[in-house]
Amino acid sequence: MLEGLNSAAAGMAAQQQRIDAVANDLANANTTGYKHVRVGFSDLVYTQTGRSSAAGPQTGAGARTVDAGRGFAQGALQRTDQPLDVAIQGDGFIKVRLPDGRQALTRDGSLKLDNAGQLVTSSGAKVQPAITIPAGVNASEIAIGPDGTVLAAGRQVGRIELVTVRSPQQLQPVGDNAFLATPESGATRPAPAATILSQGALEMSNVDMADAMVAMIESQRAFQLTSKAIQTQDQMWEIANGVKR
Amino acid sequence: MLAEQIRQDQIANDLANATTPGYKADRTAQREFGELLLTNRANGQGVGAQSTAVQVDRIETDFSPKPSRDTGEPLDFAIVGEGFFGVRTGEGVRYTRNGQFTVSPQGLLVTAAGDPVLGRGGRTVRVGEDGRVDPRALDVVLLDSPRKEGENLVTGTPAGAAGAGQVRAGALEASGADATRSMVDMIASLRAFEAGQRVIHTIDETLGKAATQVGSVTG
Repeated sequence: MLEGLNSAAAGMAAQQQRIDAVANDLANANTTGYKHVRVGFSDLVYTQTGRSSAAGPQTGAGARTVDAGRGFAQGALQRTDQPLDVAIQGDGFIKVRLPDGRQALTRDGSLKLDNAGQLVTSSGAKVQPAITIPAGVNASEIAIGPDGTVLAAGRQVGRIELVTVRSPQQLQPVGDNAFLATPESGATRPAPAATILSQGALEMSNVDMADAMVAMIESQRAFQLTSKAIQTQDQMWEIANGVKR
Repeated sequence: MLAEQIRQDQIANDLANATTPGYKADRTAQREFGELLLTNRANGQGVGAQSTAVQVDRIETDFSPKPSRDTGEPLDFAIVGEGFFGVRTGEGVRYTRNGQFTVSPQGLLVTAAGDPVLGRGGRTVRVGEDGRVDPRALDVVLLDSPRKEGENLVTGTPAGAAGAGQVRAGALEASGADATRSMVDMIASLRAFEAGQRVIHTIDETLGKAATQVGSVTG
């Protein structure tokens, strides 16, 4: 009886989760290489209602969110003219080793040098394979080619290898702009040849502010509407209670 | 009153799915219970029929296409026009109009639940190296008597592809739940429920009078 209370609550919970996801997107509107969250929805099981026969009417049990991974559309490039800033144009990731030792993937190309002269990301994850800039080379003497070749004062010191996975939507985000490969995403493999690096630029977040705002408004209104369903069902309980005076 | 409860459940489900892509709204159809034929006991003449109540006959789903909106995601697909995408699930082939797909580790186009999406000729669809799929590679079928099954899936008997809609990439079909209509239905249903309660009260009063006053000598 009045299963709608639970259906509506499920719908509200789903909208809540989407608002959480959109809030995270908005908070990362200026995060280098950030990829927006793709929130999906799904309806739930349909069950027989009332006292009718097997072929009777069916009502659904509400909605839930579905994790559809991230949207990996290219973010806009912003020129910074910093020699250690690189932007990935196309499908691909820079392979890094996180401070805790795990291999991860990132599109955040704001690189810097650590105290040993190694190329690291802004959060301190080392670029893999390790690239060491010899001591005494000025940052302005570092050149990074479109294929990832790193030249220090005209001498090649390594190459930033770009990799990708078959299903980037299934990568596991671990914070600090990094993703871990999972069995669902497939193993890492070289990125397509069309993917290039641009030195002196950064890839901006691909969060579309207008889209995010629209999603937020839509979710908020849907949340409100669904709460009205709960109110109405509550009133119905009250009326039903009033049958016996 | 029981029928109105089921209607409220259906409305709550529609509202909960107000943002589910490709969701199709329901409509509760009610019908009368059997009618009683009243006759005049003195002369046996018919007085007329009296309906005893209503019950929910069936819940109908409005499968008409809804407008699609642009998402820019390469693996979002919308069918412009009639038809469904085929999906191979553990329980056999099912259909959906929610085109929010992703890539499997094997490079196949799959639903968010991981079930492969079917292309032309019932084959699975490979996602290109660039992460895109030609929308024409996806199969769109029409269904006879489609029925919702949950998890965005629909069952039904395939009825060919003639007249089926076109697939558009980078878009999702909006939910078929209509907030305004649902709110109006909700209010109307609530009032009908309330009226049902009043009727019970009135009958209660009539019976009460009959029990206490008709038989009373002093009455």
